[in-house]
Amino acid sequence: MEQALLISNVLLWIAVLALAALVFALVRQIGVLYERVAPAGALMLAGGPKVGEAAPRFALDDLFGRAVSLGGEDPERRPTLLLFVSPTCPVCKTLLPVAKSLAAREPRAARQAGVRLVFASDGPEDHEAFVRKHALDAYPYLVSTELGLAHQVGKLPHAVLWDERGIVRAKGLVNSREHLESLFEAMDRGVASIQEYVSRAGGSR
Amino acid sequence: MALSVDPALAIALRAGLALLFVAAAAHKLRDFGAFRDALGGYRLLPEGALGSSACVLIAAELACAGALVFTEQGGFAAAALLGLYSAAIALNLARGRREIDCGCFGPARRQPLSLALVARNAVLVALALICVLPVVPRALLPLDALTIAAGVALGALVHGAVNGLIANAPLLRALRSA
Repeated sequence: MEQALLISNVLLWIAVLALAALVFALVRQIGVLYERVAPAGALMLAGGPKVGEAAPRFALDDLFGRAVSLGGEDPERRPTLLLFVSPTCPVCKTLLPVAKSLAAREPRAARQAGVRLVFASDGPEDHEAFVRKHALDAYPYLVSTELGLAHQVGKLPHAVLWDERGIVRAKGLVNSREHLESLFEAMDRGVASIQEYVSRAGGSR
Repeated sequence: MALSVDPALAIALRAGLALLFVAAAAHKLRDFGAFRDALGGYRLLPEGALGSSACVLIAAELACAGALVFTEQGGFAAAALLGLYSAAIALNLARGRREIDCGCFGPARRQPLSLALVARNAVLVALALICVLPVVPRALLPLDALTIAAGVALGALVHGAVNGLIANAPLLRALRSA
């Protein structure tokens, strides 16, 4: 009797663990599926200048002492992509080449000029080493807490895109190339975010 | 008869919770900057104290793990720390700031705040308090080794699955609303 109970107990434990492992694996797979099918838009967070409002004006010196002015009409009629990054943020590093390639891309027909790419950061980290390591010296790199506060940046990497007239067209938390591209998509289509676009398309159906 | 707990169950719970705290501290240490930022998102501490508070929390998690392994009363420390986290989440939910990153699962899985997290923590607090009940005096048998090991593994898998479901919930909501 005792022997039988012992064996049954051991077998039951094995079965329970196998089933728990199956449930765990299924949950992981469902998570991957959700991520694949979810609308790949930048996550909009509350706070900061809203889409349609003017970007706050700033006149700052960047890391190399070059004068940079943000906001208002761009003399070269280019939209500005302001990307908030930090040397300590791993996602930011993966996004730097993406941002550079987006800025360097051939101007689309709808837009005459390319994109002005500006990096912003703050904090006491070693920004010089970061800029050198990722070859960002061709772009303005601002270290300013006020800029981050004005845009209410909570999570990094955060991007704000405004058009040549200085009106914010799209913004949000950007974790991937798709998110960053969705900002340009949002500007071209005149919607605040892909989420809004999707809900609008859903509503008209 | 007062409430009491079987030694095998108590040991499995203590080991499982200790493992949980070590894992939690490990992901926070692996990306300290992200954890400090997540902590800042809660807006409960002054900006200047974030770095030191993050260190204190990580140290507290490791201390809880140690207390669970080496003392009988470690469950109180674990329950207190989990209660503190729940209070921080509940406070920000009450403020309506549910879109901030919870900081619960590390930077790879951003997670907005939700009541499900509070409920999960309540279950963990209950388990931690079971650990500190008086233990029934009985000799441990070889079979108890299986019970303890399998119990810890089961706990880890179920905890992982529950966390996965909580993390999936906002994605599912986004799909439904789209």
